[in-house]
Amino acid sequence: MHGNNRALMLRELRRGGMMRPALICAMVVMTLASVTASGAQEPPWSEQAVQRHLDFDTVAAETAASGPAALIAEGERLFTAKFTRFDGVGRPMATQASIPTKRRRPAESAFVRTSGPDATACVSCHADPSPGGAGDFTVNAFVSEGFTSAEFDSLDPQFSNERGTTALFGAGLIELLAREMTAELQAQRNTALSAARATGEAVSAALSTKGVGFGALTAAPDGTVDVSGVEGVDPDLVIRPFGQKGVSVSLRQFTVSALNAHHGIQAEERFGARWTGEADFDEDGVAAEFTAGDVSALVAFQAVLAPLDRFAPSEESWRAAADAGATLFEQWGCVDCHRPALPLTSLRFADPGPFDTAGTLRAADVGAAITLDLGELDWVAKLPRNAVGDVLVPLFGDLKRHVIAGAAVSTFGNELLAQNFVERNMFMTAELWGVAATAPYGHRGDMTVLDEAIRAHGGEGRASRERYVEATDASRAKLVAFLRTMGAAP
Amino acid sequence: MRLAAGLALFAAVSPAIAGEAPRAVPNAPHFVEEATAAGVAHVYDGAWEHFVGGGAAAFDCNGDRKPDLALAGGKSPVRLLVNHSQAGGALRFDEGDMGLSDKDRIGALGIYPLDIDDDGHLDLVLLRVGRNLLLKGGPNCAFEKASRAWAFDGGRAWTTAFAATWEPDAAFPTLAFGNYVDRTAPGSPWGTCDDNLLLRPSSGGTPRYDQSTALTPGHCALSMLFTDWNRSGEPALRIANDRQYHLNGEEQLWRIPPKRAPRLYSRSDGWARLKIWGMAIAEADLDADGYPEYALTSMGDTKLQRLDEEAEEGRPVYRDIAFEKGATAHRPYTGGDRRPSTGWHAEFADFDNDGLLDLFIAKGNVEAMPDFSAYDPDNLLLGQPDGGFLEAGDTAGIALDRRGRGGAIADFNLDGMLDLAVVNRGDPVSLFRNLGNRAAHGRRPLGNWLAIELRQPSPNRNAVGARVSVRVGNRTLTRIVQVGGGHASGRAGWVHLGLGTAERAQIRVQWPDGEWSHAFRAFANNFVIIDRAEAEVRYWYPD
Repeated sequence: MHGNNRALMLRELRRGGMMRPALICAMVVMTLASVTASGAQEPPWSEQAVQRHLDFDTVAAETAASGPAALIAEGERLFTAKFTRFDGVGRPMATQASIPTKRRRPAESAFVRTSGPDATACVSCHADPSPGGAGDFTVNAFVSEGFTSAEFDSLDPQFSNERGTTALFGAGLIELLAREMTAELQAQRNTALSAARATGEAVSAALSTKGVGFGALTAAPDGTVDVSGVEGVDPDLVIRPFGQKGVSVSLRQFTVSALNAHHGIQAEERFGARWTGEADFDEDGVAAEFTAGDVSALVAFQAVLAPLDRFAPSEESWRAAADAGATLFEQWGCVDCHRPALPLTSLRFADPGPFDTAGTLRAADVGAAITLDLGELDWVAKLPRNAVGDVLVPLFGDLKRHVIAGAAVSTFGNELLAQNFVERNMFMTAELWGVAATAPYGHRGDMTVLDEAIRAHGGEGRASRERYVEATDASRAKLVAFLRTMGAAP
Repeated sequence: MRLAAGLALFAAVSPAIAGEAPRAVPNAPHFVEEATAAGVAHVYDGAWEHFVGGGAAAFDCNGDRKPDLALAGGKSPVRLLVNHSQAGGALRFDEGDMGLSDKDRIGALGIYPLDIDDDGHLDLVLLRVGRNLLLKGGPNCAFEKASRAWAFDGGRAWTTAFAATWEPDAAFPTLAFGNYVDRTAPGSPWGTCDDNLLLRPSSGGTPRYDQSTALTPGHCALSMLFTDWNRSGEPALRIANDRQYHLNGEEQLWRIPPKRAPRLYSRSDGWARLKIWGMAIAEADLDADGYPEYALTSMGDTKLQRLDEEAEEGRPVYRDIAFEKGATAHRPYTGGDRRPSTGWHAEFADFDNDGLLDLFIAKGNVEAMPDFSAYDPDNLLLGQPDGGFLEAGDTAGIALDRRGRGGAIADFNLDGMLDLAVVNRGDPVSLFRNLGNRAAHGRRPLGNWLAIELRQPSPNRNAVGARVSVRVGNRTLTRIVQVGGGHASGRAGWVHLGLGTAERAQIRVQWPDGEWSHAFRAFANNFVIIDRAEAEVRYWYPD
């Protein structure tokens, strides 16, 4: 593509966040040779949101040649589009489950607020304060496995876990962190195994990556591993950073699952003939609803979303309070889980990623991956680095699961259903970057003030919670003042 | 050479059979044959006695959890091959020592692995023309003859089938030997099938097989399997018999009540007369209803038997569903030879990891029977979501012009994809490595998978007779751990399941004594050990 156009796109990209709509359209028209026409041209008033599907291999080649701007633009268009029946919205004969599962009987209605489909656009929930953001209690999702009792019209927690809509800002960096941490944990396991095999003796290894401890394992000389001492991560040592309980390994996996659950749009890479034997698994009359290239567009858009910066308040009193609050945040041990930053070595985001399994496009499923160099993003370039050049990602989290409810403080233990082998009282540390802009709080989105969320910390968070509760009003206010700087100025 | 001739034949006749070309199966696994590169050179051959047999056994004899191989040779020596394949890489085997004299190594038809003496090392049962042998396994793939130590008289029969089970409260397994034609009987071979034998261990601290019960009448057995056909908790003994030589014979099902004499299921029990050239029995619960289905290979049609829903409960009345499922495999699917097939080893396994069981059938002319196909390639019938099967042997690359007999299906290079060894009569053994799906850029991986090793306290440490039930979404996948069946071929070791798109699975085990375990949780694409004494699975990683 023309050098000037590329420079233009990169400049736009570096502004971060939204791009000017006119420019987006122009770029899409100019550069998307990767688009495959879906038969007859739709009239300009067409209600079909996805009129041309992207071919993954073509997109990968184009992105390698010309950069990701066009793909990201298309991803934004898809993220904000209102999908319709013509796009394959609806899943009359499939459940919301993340593996293709037929319903026993056709759904009576196309939309069901509880068990889904419950939305026509990603942005209908993920919009606060901008596309890719969080959502109010009004747009809570009702998460259930989708196997038995797949359709339910009750809010009763025995059928589903009610969850608030989380913000996706910074998700690309989160996924990159998770990939590096997984690789490091698995390398530690493999080192222990090699040592055990070589020496003929059991070898214990502490599991720690980027300063976050994940317990320990013991490798036996016969090649087995005792994972009973592993904490905060699944026994396969794969960090799954997405979802309130940390159960989705990648933006891609989550996107494919969410498209089906919320919209009834069935991505080919999971619901297509390769795994189901059918081109139209949900039997809604639309086949090939979403291609691998389309998913990549959504992934690219989400991966480059800039996190909400901390801001420096203009009021002196607030600044002083926030500074003091930051100190308390550390003194009270909040930073043990809500770590101010984790170091990230590589900013190259490969799609597909290294840890997806069958049902989500995998690196080995394609000839060449799409690579997004997040280092080219303006907002990433502004992030601080450590002495060895790693980017310090200011997530205020640790990508680790913790028991967060106990007998005495059980607020966060409200759910009745475990999810993906994660117990009811365990959640992944919520990242606090942007927290001030993404109220309400808590995994159910039912806490309107930060104080409520803090007081709900039981289990492993109890000690820090007690220090907050027993502190003076003034001290607590300073902590809130600090947290209220996480996100754009009000 | 023969392959080239076969291809030329195919090319010459393909216009004539264009209308019968099998549907392309786009996601068929792709196998590459690499016996020579793997250091494996072995042929099963011999005279009339070795028209049948030709077994393979896959099992781990040195504790590295890589499946090793033992191959019957017929008039050529039996061979032990120790697996030194690189995990995820090319296959590589080196010859081991079975501790046998040259004389004992000749005349083998089949091999089955099981831990007879409960010492944690797999032993081998060698089926021969003449004296059968029990070999005691030790560390590092060391074997020694143990027939005398275990008071086992290998007899002089032409033994072609074997099965074993642990009866309740028994410290050691009950062994069943299937014999073929009694060559010494007048009028042999027609109508002179030998008796089969049931050997229950005598009491004591070591295995003693000095008592045997004749299972009479014999109808020239070629496969036997202990199978709990009716979920009673008491396995019966199913025998596939060769109608070529039995007069008025039939397929058989024996009740084996613990501590009591075996009794045949008869017509009044509902057992119908079925006469086939029964070469192998393969068992699987295809519809997860708890009742097994059976594939029976033969000349011409393969049978696929399912308990008849309309029959009274508790009666072994079977309906053949092979035709409706597309699993008859009655004639070659490629090559143009329209004469009926001859089927040998059969085994259900999930070769493409899509969560649906597939059916492998080894095929090949008995010798030079003119009424049966000459180029008769092995079948790879891939299970489909609608419950049927689609032939993919040619797409998969296993349609060689060799006379297949026994087979071993195992993940030899521990990459989660099942590989395949086929013993061929008068031809080199085929060793197929599963490379995944063909793709424009090379190859792409198959579905998710799980490999499970079961362990329980003595006796029967390897849990022979256990049923594994894996819940994936709304579907249940089942496997059963057995010693027996197939054509002269047995296996022990990892229980492999394809999981399709599932990332996690819940596994329940019904142990041989009937007790169900709690649900074990496991993440896909892993090797896991389920020990009855432990609460969680233990993950194992190849070197």
